[in-house]
Amino acid sequence: MEQVGLAATADVSLWSLFMQAGLVVKLVMVGLIAASIWTWAIVVDKTLAFNKARRQLDSFEQVFWSGQSLEELYRTLSDRQTSGMSAMFVAAMREWKKSFERGARSPIGLQMRIDRAMDVTLARESEALEARLGSLATIGSAGPFIGLFGTVVGIMTSFQAIAGSKSTNLAVVAPGIAEALLATAIGLLAAIPAVIAYNKFTADAGKITARMEGFADEFSAILSRQIDEKLQPRQAAQ
Amino acid sequence: MKASLATSAALHALVLTWALVSIGSPESFDVADVEAMPVDIVPIEELTQIQQGDKKAPMAEKSAPVPTKRQDPVENAENSGDNDIDLKTPPTPNDKPQKTETAAAPPKAEQTMPTPEPTPEPAEQVQPSEPASTPATEVAAEAAPKQEVTPEATPEEKPAEEAPAEVAEAEAMPDNVPVPEIRPQPPQPQTAKTPDRKNEEKKQEQKKAASAKESDFNADEVAALLNKTEAKGGGAKRSTETASLGGKKTTGGSKLSMSEMDALRGIIQNNWSIIPGMADATEVRIKVTMQLDPDGNIVGEPSVVATGGSDAARRALAGGARRAILKSAPFDKLPKDKYDAWSEVVVNFDPSEMM
Repeated sequence: MEQVGLAATADVSLWSLFMQAGLVVKLVMVGLIAASIWTWAIVVDKTLAFNKARRQLDSFEQVFWSGQSLEELYRTLSDRQTSGMSAMFVAAMREWKKSFERGARSPIGLQMRIDRAMDVTLARESEALEARLGSLATIGSAGPFIGLFGTVVGIMTSFQAIAGSKSTNLAVVAPGIAEALLATAIGLLAAIPAVIAYNKFTADAGKITARMEGFADEFSAILSRQIDEKLQPRQAAQ
Repeated sequence: MKASLATSAALHALVLTWALVSIGSPESFDVADVEAMPVDIVPIEELTQIQQGDKKAPMAEKSAPVPTKRQDPVENAENSGDNDIDLKTPPTPNDKPQKTETAAAPPKAEQTMPTPEPTPEPAEQVQPSEPASTPATEVAAEAAPKQEVTPEATPEEKPAEEAPAEVAEAEAMPDNVPVPEIRPQPPQPQTAKTPDRKNEEKKQEQKKAASAKESDFNADEVAALLNKTEAKGGGAKRSTETASLGGKKTTGGSKLSMSEMDALRGIIQNNWSIIPGMADATEVRIKVTMQLDPDGNIVGEPSVVATGGSDAARRALAGGARRAILKSAPFDKLPKDKYDAWSEVVVNFDPSEMM
């Protein structure tokens, strides 16, 4: 009867479970909650950033293919903070301008330099897109293990307590196991969104990068045509 | 990034607060107190045995003997009754039970015990009279007339004493008697012998009667005489329940259970070695019958009967089975209270199952 009374008074709400847990389990739980906060911070941040990047790509493409002069576009964009495709465009145009101002001789060398400039910009942009996705992957894969560690430690201590109390009544065992399982629950709670977000953002970043690569190739083709047109009259004049 | 981190932290705080408030302590299971019910597994054999009860009482679920007046329990009592000592004899009604021992009627086997045969002693005792009938010496001849005159008077009583007297007379006589003149009369054996024979027979009959009386000795009668009280029967097992139909005595399961039979079979099988690959061995069937004493030892020789198969295989397997039985003895693992069931054990050996 004593044990039945004990079971009735035992508080198994979430807060009491957390407070009853041992130091290691508490640390694990706090760490996992922090990881969950970090995961969702990244999710919010990346969602906003990707939306913004997509919007910028759309608007730039609209402007670029509107038939506006490249010189004009460069002049308006070079003053602003640029990102994505516009940054690539600005880098390519800058290289183009520099080469022509100094009187470039070889059209092949000019083409190569413009491509390099665009590649570097593309790499920088995609790096910015994929930043912090690695931590999502880490949380997604390690979260359940960390939670499991907390559970194992919690169950271990609760079994030690059973050994001490010399009673195998379920009422004695249950609170300890419940508190230990809470650690796994929190670990899964942090890991599942992290895994989903990581997969989604990796795919999105891949799409945006591919779109930018496509633009770079297209722009490179346009510039190469321009180089031929501009250099041939010069050569013909000589 | 800072903004999104703050957003995330705020979201978590919201969710955690909601969880703490709404997912409070879950409702505890309210299990009604259930009385633990003790369950016994009772083998059907025990129920089918005769239970102690009263033969004339109506049938009830549980058989019980006639309730006794006294309640003080007596250890190890088997027969119901008010007696102090547990006796098999039925209680005599209308009388207060007294502390008198009553022996059960001697079993029939004892009654029909052959009376000791008449010993050859009487013949020897009578013999001393014989010299009188036979003309052994001249001196003895004088005794002969005496016999003729009173053939039935003395010899019956003390034939042994008479002879020495005669000898004494014979020793004293020679001085007075003129020996040569008197013709020694030829003894008449027929007249002299007939009374002797009758005497012998009579004596033998007397002894027979005496021995028969000895076998009738009854301790009960003596005890009853000594006690000057009437012997009372009855058991000492007390009963408080209403009498219901049942036997005189509970017969404790007198059949070996399957597990006990398996145990016996296992012991013998372990000790039974068969030479593998023996021709015709699978067709041999061996039946071993043995008597066991209460300690599980084999009484006498177990009888081994082998059938089927070739002669050689039969002989070899029968020997093996016999050795197995002897090696497994004593069978002290068998329950002692079921000795009736295993006093005689028949074991069937089937070599085909061992190969």
